[in-house]
Amino acid sequence: MIRPTRRAFVQAAAAPVIAGAGLSRAAEIQPARAADLTAQQLIDRIRGAVGIPWKEKTIDGFKAGDPATVLTGVAVTVAARLDTLKRAAAAGCNLVIAQEPVFYGANDEPGNRATDAVYLAKKAYIEQAKLVLWRFADHWNARQPDPRVAALAEALSWPAASNIGEGIYRIPETSLSALMTHIRSRLGVRGGMRHVGPPDLRVRTVLLSPGTTDLPSTVARLSGADAIVAGEPREWEVVPYVLDARENGAAKALIAVGRIVSEEPGMRACAAWVRTLAPSLRVEPLPVGDPYWSASS
Amino acid sequence: MTAQEIVSRIQQQLAGQKINWRTETVDTFKAGDPETPVAGIATTGMATFGVLKRAAKANRNFVITHEPTFYNHQDVTTALAQDPTYMAKQRFIRENRLVVWRFHDHAHMLRPDPLVAGSARALDWTTYASPNEPRIYVLPPTTLGALAAEVTRRLNGRAIRVSGDPSMKVTRVALGPGYGVPALTTAVDVAVGGEASESGGNAEYIADAMAAGQPKGMIVLGHMLSEDFGMREVGDWLRGFLTEVPIDWIPAGEPFE
Repeated sequence: MIRPTRRAFVQAAAAPVIAGAGLSRAAEIQPARAADLTAQQLIDRIRGAVGIPWKEKTIDGFKAGDPATVLTGVAVTVAARLDTLKRAAAAGCNLVIAQEPVFYGANDEPGNRATDAVYLAKKAYIEQAKLVLWRFADHWNARQPDPRVAALAEALSWPAASNIGEGIYRIPETSLSALMTHIRSRLGVRGGMRHVGPPDLRVRTVLLSPGTTDLPSTVARLSGADAIVAGEPREWEVVPYVLDARENGAAKALIAVGRIVSEEPGMRACAAWVRTLAPSLRVEPLPVGDPYWSASS
Repeated sequence: MTAQEIVSRIQQQLAGQKINWRTETVDTFKAGDPETPVAGIATTGMATFGVLKRAAKANRNFVITHEPTFYNHQDVTTALAQDPTYMAKQRFIRENRLVVWRFHDHAHMLRPDPLVAGSARALDWTTYASPNEPRIYVLPPTTLGALAAEVTRRLNGRAIRVSGDPSMKVTRVALGPGYGVPALTTAVDVAVGGEASESGGNAEYIADAMAAGQPKGMIVLGHMLSEDFGMREVGDWLRGFLTEVPIDWIPAGEPFE
């Protein structure tokens, strides 16, 4: 994945306006206003179309801002960081849909950071820029098949037809090290990529497990794949499981790319999906990139 | 001396330090017969298959592990019953008459927490411990990049990850064990720990702090690089009241290559 520079992004976001140069000036400035859609109305459309019964207990919902806000544009991102919010606002988007928490905890409660300067600065920016934040993880991730898997495969240039089921993709035979090079360049991994297995291991089948890579689904599926491309595998669960499988003689490998990197293609797909629900509205994916760099390189 | 007798001795020792045995705890026997006579003890961050093989070879048939044996916190094995890796590991334990016992919850209750103290010693930070703030270390001024390089050198790490601006200045560091990279606040510069969820936490906080002009950093060692050394510390502690059997530290090591 190539991260656009901020200028390139703003230009890309502005493209629909330029394309409408023949229209009246008012239409140029406010391309989305024709529908006067509020954040709440768009979310209602999302809830109606997601295909998953809305859960009573869910982390999905408004995290900041006024749901009655009329939308100028929507940014869809894995992580609604302060810099992401600033980029969204600069691109004319006043609703940010995020996969991960806004305020540093699963329930978005600031906890002991309630008086923290960083938390307060973020909150103040959201208020000043009149942004609305809505979290979309539980229901998006629950869709079947998992949209994050197909999006990750697409980002890796693996055709949908190579999916042999259960999130396992058949790829042209390669080595673990060549596969890692491919993943590193396609997903823009900066330093977060870690692996278990020898570089010359032959790989023909890959299990894609973005986000939280849990033990039960790994145990159930890894027998059908040479390698697993994981988002965030716990180091007392899937990591030692693969390590022990190798110790027991199984030719298996694990590549952990990081949760955020693994979920970025999925949120790009989410942006495309949201766009189908409000075709007149500007809907842009906002990549955030690998938060880590490697201490060893 | 049996494995059960050794565990009873540990429980007595804890009681003497006003640490009462918890009714709900993961500190239980995970495999093998507690009545097995113990030839030697191996302490480790995690009883991986590789650690068990090394322990058996060294005639240390009682393995005291900090983390699970069977890939989940409660060591529930129902979903693993037909799994070839699980079955081979159980067979190896049986054939070599090993006993595996977990020492996690109560180990963290010792003061100082040996899992933190062990990492601090491995990092050579013991003298920098803040006198009145647990887990805080006040280092000679450095940068995040230089600190990450030094940590990597000390621990011989292959897959240590860092978040934050490498040129940011660092003196105050919070050190946490295992799945517990301390939550960053404005009170510290850098958090150092084993493993962290990227879902809402320090990674986002660091990005926001940078955007707000207050640089913060995080060094993620990996779970084993953060707790293996603590189990060396636990081995030293055991030797203080268990002289009947040899006690070795067998580190699980960094899983990543």
